[in-house]
Amino acid sequence: MTENAVYDAIRTRRVTRRMTTRPVDAKDLDLVVRAARYAPSAGNRRLQPVRVVTDARQLRRLRMVSPGMLPVPQAAIVVCIDRQRAAGYGFRPDAPGLYIDVGTAAATLLLAAHAVGLAACPVTSFSRTAAARLLGLDAPIVPQLIVCLGHADQDQPPAIGKWTSGRPDA
Amino acid sequence: MRGWMSGREAEDNPVLTEAAALDVLAYLISAARTQLDEAAEYAPLRLITAARKLADHLAPRATAPVQALVSALDALPPTATPTADRAAYIARLDEICVALAECLLATR
Repeated sequence: MTENAVYDAIRTRRVTRRMTTRPVDAKDLDLVVRAARYAPSAGNRRLQPVRVVTDARQLRRLRMVSPGMLPVPQAAIVVCIDRQRAAGYGFRPDAPGLYIDVGTAAATLLLAAHAVGLAACPVTSFSRTAAARLLGLDAPIVPQLIVCLGHADQDQPPAIGKWTSGRPDA
Repeated sequence: MRGWMSGREAEDNPVLTEAAALDVLAYLISAARTQLDEAAEYAPLRLITAARKLADHLAPRATAPVQALVSALDALPPTATPTADRAAYIARLDEICVALAECLLATR
């Protein structure tokens, strides 16, 4: 335990796999999105643009092509890689640094969501091509990670990997 | 819950809308792609999730035997994977398979 607020935020953040239908406040969402610009970025190149999704129909369709999206989110932030700009810096498409910065952006967004009282769930299991088409992203912008946002349901399924007996009452 | 139906009645009982079927279809197609990049332990998880989606769509208008199968499926947490306790996971899936057989025997 510590009295350091940042450390405590890191320690108490959780992935939320079941969300309520309560909407996400626009001000809270804006704060979370703005936090992405403070994420560590190699060379401060900022090759990971984000797309905010709040339209209910778009969210529903995005979830339909995202097998890893367990919650039904009220908003989502899609972290992408700008492949054209990355190539301009001499990055190969599979250069690990591009994906590491997706991770730092995601970690920052998750903590920011926690800071404003929003529940969040990162999702990497989704069809990149389908998501790009649904979001109308131009070819060089490739979605890589989705941060689902909403409010946590009191009843949460166990974390993946924590299931042992299969008995809900165990 | 509705009463039990005969096999013929069950066959004639339309329970899935196009939107619901599309929901399952989209999941299966997307999962086929994502599974290529995912841990192998997620394979049964994705299949069970697809089954659960189908079950959720079926449940409101399903016959009693199908309702029982849906209930059996619901007993498995949506995040269960075989890694932590493989034997228990297999046992639970086998139980669901028995429930499936019971459902088939009741509707055919």
